[in-house]
Amino acid sequence: MVAEAIPVRRRAVRRPMSLRTRRALAAWGFALPFLAVFAAFMAGPVVASLAMSFTDLRGTDLRNPLNVNLIGFDNYVRLFGDEVFRQALTNTAVFVLGSVPLTIVSALAVALALNRGITRLRTFFRVGYYLPVVTSIVAVAVVWRFLLQPDTGLLNSLLRTIGIAGPHWLDDPALAMLSIIVLTAWRGMGFMMVVFIAGLQAIPRDVYEAAEIDGAGRWARFRFVTLPMLRPTMLFAVVVTSIGQLQFIEEPFVMTRGGPLNSTLSVSMDVYAQFGFGNYGYASAMSYMLFVVIVALTVVWFRLLRSR
Amino acid sequence: MQRRRGAVTALAVVTALAVVGCGRDSAGGGGETARPVDQGTAKGEITVWAMGTEGEKLSVLARDFEAANPEAKVTVTAIPWDAARDKIATAIAGRQTPDVSLIGTTNMAEFARSGALDPTPSVIDGGQFFSGAAQTTVVNGTSYGVPWYVETRLLYYRTDLAQRAGAAPPTNWSELTAFATAMKEKSGAKWGLNLQAGGKGTWQTFMPFAWQAGASITDEGGTKFTLDSPEMVKALEYYKTFFAGQLSPDALLRPGELEQGFIDGSFGAFFSGPWHIGLIKEQGGAAMDGKWAVARMPRDKAGTSFVGGGDLAVFKDAKNRDAAWKFVQYLTRPEVQVKWYTEVGDLPSVKSAWQDPKLSADPLLKTFGEQLDEAKSPPAIATWEQVATVIDTEIEKVVKGVSSPADSAKAMQAQATSIGTGL
Repeated sequence: MVAEAIPVRRRAVRRPMSLRTRRALAAWGFALPFLAVFAAFMAGPVVASLAMSFTDLRGTDLRNPLNVNLIGFDNYVRLFGDEVFRQALTNTAVFVLGSVPLTIVSALAVALALNRGITRLRTFFRVGYYLPVVTSIVAVAVVWRFLLQPDTGLLNSLLRTIGIAGPHWLDDPALAMLSIIVLTAWRGMGFMMVVFIAGLQAIPRDVYEAAEIDGAGRWARFRFVTLPMLRPTMLFAVVVTSIGQLQFIEEPFVMTRGGPLNSTLSVSMDVYAQFGFGNYGYASAMSYMLFVVIVALTVVWFRLLRSR
Repeated sequence: MQRRRGAVTALAVVTALAVVGCGRDSAGGGGETARPVDQGTAKGEITVWAMGTEGEKLSVLARDFEAANPEAKVTVTAIPWDAARDKIATAIAGRQTPDVSLIGTTNMAEFARSGALDPTPSVIDGGQFFSGAAQTTVVNGTSYGVPWYVETRLLYYRTDLAQRAGAAPPTNWSELTAFATAMKEKSGAKWGLNLQAGGKGTWQTFMPFAWQAGASITDEGGTKFTLDSPEMVKALEYYKTFFAGQLSPDALLRPGELEQGFIDGSFGAFFSGPWHIGLIKEQGGAAMDGKWAVARMPRDKAGTSFVGGGDLAVFKDAKNRDAAWKFVQYLTRPEVQVKWYTEVGDLPSVKSAWQDPKLSADPLLKTFGEQLDEAKSPPAIATWEQVATVIDTEIEKVVKGVSSPADSAKAMQAQATSIGTGL
């Protein structure tokens, strides 16, 4: 009897798992390597830095990181009185207000031209506009600094031929920011151009044909067909560009080092500097402040551009 | 990439921050006594971190050391200067330090204050070093390492242009102004003298003038900043005259622009460290031979220059502490310092090494050696790099005419005081 009972129980244990369970297990199995890496290198630091932002952890506490004082929101309060941080915040706002529209408008214009207007050499132009995206920022900076050199630079040489004395582009606080904005838009435009071309090609031709039959001109077709149909693409482009450019650091890092007179110092650069000074708690608070701004702006974009 | 590095540092720093702490007890740094180092030859593996050329070439000296200490093995890891501070900080937080590391002079205080560095034992004679360089290792009265190599700043000038302008190398402030003016007006140089107009590290060009005027960064005890002294204002005013008089360019230079300008004669003179000897010879070639020289800092109340360089420190978490100090001691022997100079061109921090003909017979180097006797370093305070950024910014404001020397001195003092000395 006993010998018979065992196979019965075995059969019960070996009953195949349901398809759903097996699928779920397989999915978790595939996701596990990523989740482990994510937990160790993303979630961990995110939680740790949030905790850090409520402490006065400094470089001198490195050997005994537990010997710090919990200071609540002191770091966040201090940010409002920090002149350099306030300037970095203003600079970042000016930068984003300038570079995001410039990137989006120029990318859309180029995408429209390459989607319909220009048929010959289309690949040549697409590659040409995309090239800045895949070029190293260091190489870009070297070339741009040559172009913008006050005495011998190409830009000022051209201006001189039409009788204008070119300014010191990177040594004037107002113009340095302008130069960085143009450089960033030039670099970022290529990627958004590809996104817009994809968006434009997803718009069905018959909608345009219907509009044409209704007597819509070029502008009307753009205004009432292309733009509304591009809304999801536009949302993606604006959100991605804004998030990226709120964290801008590379361009001023290689072009101006934040100068002259901190006029191109971005929030990310200030955060990087504060980490370098060993002010870990304070730098973490700065990062979270920037994070809050990014979330807020993203919510605004979603409200404005969400398909209705 | 920059952000990710910050995040990883953050992770390393507070992996242990599961329970957030209970207040700061007195950390290390200051008032410590060093343990003695045992006698005899070094044994076991000694792990060493070094940056840049030093990291690449140190194995040459390591092999010599191993020959003298057959039971020891020196393992050198070369790390880039850009990553040095983060890497050492992470190692300290994780208690996975090497035995010895090269440490930039301006990072010494922060690491010593964290309690990570071992106080210098008595087998090392602190008196053998240039005093300005030895000061970089002293935090709160205790020395935490040795100066390994030094650099100091001198006036580089074009002798042929100076002759054309009828100008002799300046010995005091008014002569420096006259020299730069003559270079600009009579020698054909576009700029009489290049001074750094702003940006990171401007303080290294400016502080010699402040020290020459009698200013200091902190009081004697290193507890209070003294950046708004009349001497500091005087130095800022003097520095400003070179830009107001169009003797120095107020725009930031492209990398390589200074060297090229010095060689083609558009820059008459500039202040810099020993690395420019090699750069000028390399880029100017034979055509520059005999056309340039170096001169000591001009005097006001003093003729002070800036001394920088690299320090060697042994960590408290070293696995082979005694052998590590023996290796450090070996690296500071005069003959080893001279050999190191011939290998990589680093200037010896040990005074007696300068009597070797390899250094004393070279007129350029001889001037550097003389200047090192009158050279200062910033105080070893944990917040120095942050304070230095404030000084850089305020100098730039003065140069660009945005702020007056007196206002900038006040702003330096106020901001530095709010940053604190990291005590």
